[in-house]
Amino acid sequence: MTFETWLRADRLPHIWCSGCSNGTILNCTLTAVDDLGLDPDRTVFVGGIGCSSRSVGYVATDSLHTTHGRALAFATGVKLADPTLNVLVFTGDGDLAAIGGNHFIHSCRRNIDLTVVCMNNLIYGMTGGQGSPTTPPGALSTTTPYGASEPAFDLAQLAVAAGANYVARWTSYHVRELERAIRAGIETPGLSFIEVRASCPTNYGRRNRLRDVTDQIEIFRTRSMLKAKYDRLVAAGSPVPPDAIVVGEFVRRANPVMGVPP
Amino acid sequence: MKLVIDEERCKGCNLCTMVCPYRIFRPGTRANRKGILVPELDRPERCTNCRLNRLYGRTLCGICQLTCPDQAISWVDEKPYEPVRMEVEY
Amino acid sequence: MTRLDFMQGNVASAEGAIAAGCRFFGGYPITPSTEIAERMAARLPRVGGTFIQMEDEIASIAAVIGASWTGMKAMTATSGPGFSLMLENLGFAVMTETPLVVVDIQRGGPSTGQPTMSSQGDMLQCRYGSHGDIATIALAPASVQEMYDLTVKAFNLAERFRCPAFVMADEIVGHMRERIEIPGSVEVAKRRPLEPGRLPFAAGPDLVPGFPSFGRGYRVHVTGLTHDERGYPATNDEAVHAALVERLVTKVESSRREIADYEVMNPDADVVIVCYGAPARTVLQLAAEQAGPPVGVLRFRVVWPFPEHALGEFPNAEAFIVPEQNMGQLAREIERHTSLPVVPVPKLGGDLHTPGELARVVEEVRRR
Repeated sequence: MTFETWLRADRLPHIWCSGCSNGTILNCTLTAVDDLGLDPDRTVFVGGIGCSSRSVGYVATDSLHTTHGRALAFATGVKLADPTLNVLVFTGDGDLAAIGGNHFIHSCRRNIDLTVVCMNNLIYGMTGGQGSPTTPPGALSTTTPYGASEPAFDLAQLAVAAGANYVARWTSYHVRELERAIRAGIETPGLSFIEVRASCPTNYGRRNRLRDVTDQIEIFRTRSMLKAKYDRLVAAGSPVPPDAIVVGEFVRRANPVMGVPP
Repeated sequence: MKLVIDEERCKGCNLCTMVCPYRIFRPGTRANRKGILVPELDRPERCTNCRLNRLYGRTLCGICQLTCPDQAISWVDEKPYEPVRMEVEY
Repeated sequence: MTRLDFMQGNVASAEGAIAAGCRFFGGYPITPSTEIAERMAARLPRVGGTFIQMEDEIASIAAVIGASWTGMKAMTATSGPGFSLMLENLGFAVMTETPLVVVDIQRGGPSTGQPTMSSQGDMLQCRYGSHGDIATIALAPASVQEMYDLTVKAFNLAERFRCPAFVMADEIVGHMRERIEIPGSVEVAKRRPLEPGRLPFAAGPDLVPGFPSFGRGYRVHVTGLTHDERGYPATNDEAVHAALVERLVTKVESSRREIADYEVMNPDADVVIVCYGAPARTVLQLAAEQAGPPVGVLRFRVVWPFPEHALGEFPNAEAFIVPEQNMGQLAREIERHTSLPVVPVPKLGGDLHTPGELARVVEEVRRR
């Protein structure tokens, strides 16, 4: 495996806590771009602000570490100005769904040819564990000390509804499937959105009885349900476990796109 | 090939102990210079990639490396096996 | 070959941008700047450029910065409320040394204010609006011709100093229709690429590093965090932060004489009217028609970095009169640089000063 060659070795070890999934997702993404044989000189990684977005600084390509929530808008500029570049975006749930929600739905609507990898750890990790738009109801965080009272966003469904050409969700436990999904995302013209459920032992797990690094990964392993099975259950009217993480490919379509070379 | 853990990068999360199908990684017991309990290797020669990488010419399995959030797991080349001729005198 | 035309200020600005080599426009509709976006939407596809209407001004400036990093000349146009939204990413552009041009057709503020009326209320916002210490370049056109010329100049300055350059026009100049001479060709600055072997954010004696465009193999990391010369974050290093911010400010401020562009009339006058933008039109008329001792005129085409040496062009000056369509934003800056009395003549509401109003102020100042 040669994702190592895509890393800025002089910047490692990275800033993430022990057991943080971001490193795993970075490995999978870089393996995907390497397997596809992308040219590092013609590939740009764009990130916003947050733990997830720091990923771009560890990739040995041109990389743009931008302002909070705006990664997709910056990436749109890069891709439209030079459609021959491969542009990938690292973002997180707070960055993408809260402050950057508008840019997210509009990028999906435009179907601009970007690959967006969202590390969804259900929390604002970098600022110390505040509730985010994906924090599940009842979960504890520093700003939801009595349990989150707001419903959470389903990011994958949001991307499907907004018009993205490729949408998948996996977890950081499913490394092979994730790598394949990112590969499929890069190969699909138009906006590809890969939501990755990520663990945050330090700021999410610690407050939600998932203190051990492996606790959240164990949840990913045991509670994930393939989209096909989920659809089958729903169609049959059978009960679906409320804490099931639906994983798999949500959509792959060929709607008109923006930002591909003529 | 030889399986190695980069102690400079490892942060001791023990995810490798969870994902290796051969249970080659064991939770570490001794703190290193940075105070991190780096996992220990239990008979790493059992690793598929160590044994068969040369034969197939590509990385096999590799789940531990892909999962390791700290990019600390890799395989390094070993000195190739050299047959030694031994003469036994009766 | 020079071509005569009759066009609107906003359209002239768009034409100037295309002549200067701008090939990317990201924008969002806002009165009174929208004609620039409309003209760019029509013109850019015909010259191989890209126009995109983004979902808001935050995204517009973000897309412009992204496009600029591919090596393309890029711009956006807006007015006060949109300019306020852009400030965060304008700080990012300063920090990452991204050349770009923003045309701000100012309207009455604060808030939504007077969408269709003229103002010069953003003059301090464009200089001091971002958090942290920044230095920017701002030009102030007073005619349709200058909308064209100064947009070209803004691109050249942005490329030369690797920072945002603002064309701080106003609703009057933006919507005015005038005769304009469009030159056959204009002088266009090229972006200096990063020299091979140099660190991407290591500057030479001119304090401006070469530009490592994306996709050319530089593999540069660009971040809004405090970064070292490699571009890597160094957020806890006091010396790195101090050196970086000092350089970002000094590279522009130390070149104020080179950037300066102003017009001087009647340098022997005792009373000098300092002006820029649309109010300058009243001042020039007053200076041309006024009976009695001549009044001095100092008209800035470049407002930031403030060319304070220009005040010295009037050795006999006893007072500076500063008519502005705001409550004295530049007057305050002039006060910092002179011991002579500075008399602001604020005018709010959108109308220009009349020559009579200014003549009365001149008389009053002379009586003192």
